[in-house]
Amino acid sequence: MEKIEMGELIAGGLARALELMAVAAYTAIKFGDRNTIKMAAMGSDELETISEFCFSLGDMSPLAARDGRALQSMVKEPFAMLVIGDTRKSDLNYNCGACGYSTCAELNRAEMVEALTSNGPFCMFKAINLHMAANAAAAAAWRLGLQCRVFGTFGFAAKAMESMPDIDTAVAVAVSAAKNDPFFDRHKYWTNDYWDEIFRKEFPTFVRGFIGAVEE
Amino acid sequence: MSREKAQKQFEDDRKEAVHIASRLLLASGTTSPRVGGVGECTMHILEDECTIEELCQEIEKMAAEKESWDFFKKDAAALRDADAIMLVTSLRSLTDPSDINCNLCGYLTCDYMRKADKLERVPGVAYTGPLCAFRATNISYAVGGIVGQARQLGIDHGIFWSAGAAAMRMGILPRNTGFALAVGISVTEKSPFRDVPPRSDEINERTMNDRIIRRLWPQFRSIYS
Repeated sequence: MEKIEMGELIAGGLARALELMAVAAYTAIKFGDRNTIKMAAMGSDELETISEFCFSLGDMSPLAARDGRALQSMVKEPFAMLVIGDTRKSDLNYNCGACGYSTCAELNRAEMVEALTSNGPFCMFKAINLHMAANAAAAAAWRLGLQCRVFGTFGFAAKAMESMPDIDTAVAVAVSAAKNDPFFDRHKYWTNDYWDEIFRKEFPTFVRGFIGAVEE
Repeated sequence: MSREKAQKQFEDDRKEAVHIASRLLLASGTTSPRVGGVGECTMHILEDECTIEELCQEIEKMAAEKESWDFFKKDAAALRDADAIMLVTSLRSLTDPSDINCNLCGYLTCDYMRKADKLERVPGVAYTGPLCAFRATNISYAVGGIVGQARQLGIDHGIFWSAGAAAMRMGILPRNTGFALAVGISVTEKSPFRDVPPRSDEINERTMNDRIIRRLWPQFRSIYS
């Protein structure tokens, strides 16, 4: 056996861990014994596209902008992203009513409403199957000792940028083998002034005065 | 220790193992990921046999309401053999959309979704949607945490949405519960949730006992009278 340097060990281990995460997501417990999820690992080009898209949302979604900014830094270290997507129509025949329609046939006949984030209306149990798979992938990564987090923002961005074709929503599981856990502190990209500004905008009840107080 | 006491000790310890395991599963379900870290899922443990029986009877009532819910009868038969049932709820999916505007519900923005008419609570409707799918999928991570820990501990488990819907009907879950699932757990030599034979709702130990009682009851009655 030839000598393998540490960097190659880390990169190779991360790639193999990604495969194990995909297997765990694939075999995760699902409703109706349906395995309709689609998975793909994002390449460097897709990661750059997703990062730029999230950052471009800016004031529309400060959380997505922050995640996009973080992704630009995370790709400089060993990093990988598994995107899991699914389609919205239901063949489960549960007729449970969670989507707002009494039967699955009504849901499937309903006109699709397109949006950048997701296409709806979406079958609730298929959404749960999708997130069960994401949870299984994240748990597998955690057991392997990787730094890991589930991202809705990157999943929506992957769907918007059509990184995976023919899906109606997606969720992303990001894994990293960086020197420091990049998911431990995701607020470092905001200055104190920007944090105050966003906090005042997004959580007005925390900074508002008494009821009836005059707003400046 | 006598032989009879040793057998009873085993049965008591098995029930104690279920008691401990259900709490550990609750812990794992609580620490699994949540959207925004918001704790909007609760978990409730049913361990009493009578409560489980009441839940199973409610499941069987729902099985009669719709043809597509016919599999509820098998769910009820399996859950009767469960040692404990963990009910997992999503509290804010019914009344409080997540303000993400993700369009999973098909209403484009959360403001439109708030104004949408809900389905009525009538027989044949399990969940009064439209629910906020972004909120309700939190339950996936809670249930995933329970299932992951159950596998680690070697506890037999099965996920049932029929029991969650029946628990909502019974009113034993918190107010404004929009969505609920149930995880049955079992500490026995044979899992009641996997590899069950066909028609397990019609042919099982309880139905056999019921048939014997019905067949022999006239003889018993004549003897006693």
